[in-house]
Amino acid sequence: MLIFILKRVGLGLITLWILSVIVFFAAQVLPGDPARAILGPLAAPSAVKALAHQLGTDQPVLTQYWHWISHFVRGNPGTSYQYRGAIGPLLTTALGNSLKLAAVAFVIVVPLGIIGGVVAALNVGKPIDRIISVFGLSATVIPEVVSGIILILVFGIALNILPISATAPPGASIGTQIYHLIMPAIPLVLILFGYIQQMARTGTVEALASDYARTATLKGLPRGVMIRRHILRNSLLPTITVIATQTGYLIGGLVLVETLFRYQGIGSLIFNAANSKDFPMLEAGVLVIGIVYMVATLAADIIYSLLNPRIRHRGIE
Amino acid sequence: MARDTSRLDTIRADRSELENHYIDELVSGSISRRQFVRRGAVIGMSASVLSAVLTACGGANNTSSTPASTGTTAGQPTKGGTLKLALQTPAGAINPLTISDAGGLCMLAQTGEFLAFDNNMALQLQPMLATSWKPNADGSMWTFSLRPGVKFHNGAALTADDVVYTFQQLADPKNTSNALSTFTGVLKPSGVVKVDASTVAFHLEAPNGNFPYLVSSDNYNAIIVPKGTDFAKWQSTFMGTGPFKLRSYSQNAGANFVANPDYWGGAPNLASTAFTFYASQQPQILALQGGQVDVIVQFVTQGAQSLLNNSSYNIIKLKSANHRELSMRNDMAPFTDPRVRQAIALALDRPGMVAALLSGDGVLGNDSPFSPKFPSTNTSAPQRAQDIAKAKQLLAAAGHPNGFSTTLTTEQYEEVPALAQVIAQAASKIGVTMKLKVETQTNYYGKSTYGNSDWLDAIVSLVDYGDRGVPNVFLEAPLTSGGPWNAAHFKNPTYDGLVKQYVASVDLQTQRTLAGKIETLLLNETPLVIPYFVDGLTATTANVHGVNPTSISAIYLKDAYKA
Amino acid sequence: MSIGAVPVESAGAVESELRGEFLRDLVHSKTFIAGACILGFWIFAAIFGNLLVPHDPLAQDLTGINKPPSLSHWFGTDQLGRDMFARVITGARDILITAPAATALGTALGTALGLVMGYFRGIVDDILGRFVEAFLALPLVVTGILGVIALGPSNGTLILVIGIVFTPLIARTVRAAVLLERELDYVSAARLRGEGALYIMFVEILPNVLAPIMVEFTVRLGYAVFTIVTLSFLGFGIPPPSSNWGLEISTNYGLVTAGYWWEVLFDALAIASLVVGVNMIANSIESELAP
Repeated sequence: MLIFILKRVGLGLITLWILSVIVFFAAQVLPGDPARAILGPLAAPSAVKALAHQLGTDQPVLTQYWHWISHFVRGNPGTSYQYRGAIGPLLTTALGNSLKLAAVAFVIVVPLGIIGGVVAALNVGKPIDRIISVFGLSATVIPEVVSGIILILVFGIALNILPISATAPPGASIGTQIYHLIMPAIPLVLILFGYIQQMARTGTVEALASDYARTATLKGLPRGVMIRRHILRNSLLPTITVIATQTGYLIGGLVLVETLFRYQGIGSLIFNAANSKDFPMLEAGVLVIGIVYMVATLAADIIYSLLNPRIRHRGIE
Repeated sequence: MARDTSRLDTIRADRSELENHYIDELVSGSISRRQFVRRGAVIGMSASVLSAVLTACGGANNTSSTPASTGTTAGQPTKGGTLKLALQTPAGAINPLTISDAGGLCMLAQTGEFLAFDNNMALQLQPMLATSWKPNADGSMWTFSLRPGVKFHNGAALTADDVVYTFQQLADPKNTSNALSTFTGVLKPSGVVKVDASTVAFHLEAPNGNFPYLVSSDNYNAIIVPKGTDFAKWQSTFMGTGPFKLRSYSQNAGANFVANPDYWGGAPNLASTAFTFYASQQPQILALQGGQVDVIVQFVTQGAQSLLNNSSYNIIKLKSANHRELSMRNDMAPFTDPRVRQAIALALDRPGMVAALLSGDGVLGNDSPFSPKFPSTNTSAPQRAQDIAKAKQLLAAAGHPNGFSTTLTTEQYEEVPALAQVIAQAASKIGVTMKLKVETQTNYYGKSTYGNSDWLDAIVSLVDYGDRGVPNVFLEAPLTSGGPWNAAHFKNPTYDGLVKQYVASVDLQTQRTLAGKIETLLLNETPLVIPYFVDGLTATTANVHGVNPTSISAIYLKDAYKA
Repeated sequence: MSIGAVPVESAGAVESELRGEFLRDLVHSKTFIAGACILGFWIFAAIFGNLLVPHDPLAQDLTGINKPPSLSHWFGTDQLGRDMFARVITGARDILITAPAATALGTALGTALGLVMGYFRGIVDDILGRFVEAFLALPLVVTGILGVIALGPSNGTLILVIGIVFTPLIARTVRAAVLLERELDYVSAARLRGEGALYIMFVEILPNVLAPIMVEFTVRLGYAVFTIVTLSFLGFGIPPPSSNWGLEISTNYGLVTAGYWWEVLFDALAIASLVVGVNMIANSIESELAP
């Protein structure tokens, strides 16, 4: 197990390094000039030149990369060109905001998805199974723009019961913050519901067909108890995988929801950094998403192998 | 008009040549009372002198012809309370040297003050940290007297040293200051000289009749900071002399200010102000409607239709020089022929554009940067109107009876992409096909130098220009032969000469004569099209009074209160 | 993915028989029929829409802006007075060119990459695998934005960027299928015959992994629409004035607070119907090929 983890971490680090190189060179191709982006189109060329020198963007590309990475590995992500301030606090605030939004989405979608999956599995082949599955799969491909706009029109404008801006007023209580995050979370819920429901359904179907379920039924265990004791646990497992594989999407792919609902998360941070050629910010943002993604996948794999009765069983034998 | 000649003569005796010139113009009726007040203020005539002259000329001695703030007289101002305002998120650190965006400059103006204040509501340049100013004979040297008894928020007194330090930093090319776009060719650091503890002289590189505007709130970077200030760290203190002091500033989120009881102009009505930053307009409108904010500092009509004509809100409209420029490459076929450029200009339905794109909150443009807002604007030039037949005729005469095809490049900014589509539609009526290329602002501006910028290199380019107190930058940068933003690649020695004379001229009559010549030349040549000027808009709830916005998106809250 | 295990001798005959059965099953699937009808409608609208709609989708009327739905303008007019019904119907065109083209490009590149990784395994697989992982760690939209900013928005850029973004995803699936195939007898036989790697990959293995590739193609097609709409909304899609659902929503979105709901709702519904239609087709193909 330890060797497995070490190997995964090692490979993960190599991947992150490759990612940093890809983003670095992609950023070089982006049009525009950081100093110009900071000073605006109307600044004098001499001012732009001086600032470029201050920022070090007039150095050769490889020097810039070395300068950046040697600081980054020592835990210093550097200074944002655009904000002319340390990246650390900006990044953690944005990441915190994105995590809040993701958390609200998960709190809604995980129970819904599991219930949907179990109900479908208990009714395999019946219309209810078909309806839930088709709905789930369709919802998965509906762009957040579409679901978001319809939600805004219905709940934000027509009924006027939910705020259409995800950002709560400064100093708002946690309750108010969550209230503001409900509508932005729903497009995410719609997208994730299909995945979790499918996984939970498959897990439950397999569990129902398994030996212990049959034995339990033979032993006369009430169906409700059996579902609670065995099936739920088994359908929870694949959910962990979905959460892990969708973390990348949830943390960084929120650009759209963040734009639509005007929320300052890491998605919009990266989006703005790319637009204003704020290279250190872009690199740091992308790498943070990469790290979160890798950690989540690894953690899921470990939890999965620890919890999975089949794998554990094999281990005992 | 009853005129008291003997009283006027007494006043004249003490006045400078230039001041007497304005008095002459007022007496002869060539400038209005309002323009007299405005111009007189620029050259440093004090309020008492101005009103004395006006009294001598008959009529009420009211120097501010419009109320200085909204809400007018709803009784006695209420004291105390917090005013909540929605503002565009500042684009970067709040550094007085580098700020160049609407949100940032509004932040500077909350605690910082300028030598002079361009009061857009009153259309008047007013004293602020300077009590008076005077030019020398040709306008190449200006002397400012500082207000006595002004204290910074840390208790230190304002002196000439602070003013000299501030302007030397702003004008120093090494500091990459945004104010260099104003000061380059006008003021060098060595030109800022301390005369005595409360007097500062500015020795200019060339005569400039409008210099006081360049050290006023129009040049939003020029807030006076204590000598030795590290501009990069200014954000942590917001050290200034204004009616409000910093309580807290949180990047990307908002800022809070509290009343400064020691303010030289008396403590403000409000106990505090709270700004919330928004990345876009829509949530600001929702916040105003939802009661989370009392004021939207600046907005555009697109998407804000629900606020207009609604008695729950006051909309403050300010005439502005904010405009859009459609430049056509004067050095590239088919636009080398002025008739082709005129044809494009004649194809446009300007009143239709203002009505549809600005909901009517704008003024027709006449293809010159002389906005009706500027006193020097010469209104004798005929307004250009849509004339499809003449446009077709001009195109045919220029050898394009069947039109031609070209590409219009523009930026994603406010209503600009929509304007581009309206222009393309209008061009198609005279047989000209315009393909559109709409880019993000970063892509569009590129490096902002010739050869590295779609803005400056594209054959047809549509760009926005923000408001300014005087037309100088608009006349020079995008139109003179050596101008850095000459997207039209217009090179005309006659024009260059006229602009040079205009900038150097100190008296209004000369300025207006030259403006007329420039306007006529631009109509004949049509290097670029200016379809309209956009009004500056501020929204408040109906119970808010006394806010004083400017058309560059700053807002002054000293007299503001909530009823 | 048991389709790949067809014995090599009778591959041709069995395949055509399977294909016939597969199509028969498909047309009997209600999901497939419904999906095909929706997609068919939009393809029809994309090709003939200009001829059918009562107004020119580009014709402006500055005196009739932001008008709610009425008998003359069924879906109302937009901020330049253009007919929304005409714009929604003709808005299908660009997306129905770019989405399939991008998916095809991604499928072609991904198949090639997956074949190479799966067939060679070892060091080639490890190195390419790291790159694939690195790409996968980035959200699709972020990669897409970087690409479009770098290359400038146009239909060509969209196709290229989305194609490249899809490549590692498709490569991963193809690689997994190839790993199973390469252990089978017919591959060893070909190797013994002395066939080159390229021949074995593209002539021997490729036909046997077509099923998962086909499933990938249809599934990705839905995501291509998703991605194009998203990029267009963020301002990185097809430029104006051509009507385009994502861009339309992004330009008119600011107006919903003014109450002009018709300027975004119909575009949103059009997108939803197209993605759901494509997804229904993808699902039925998937369940037929891998029951």
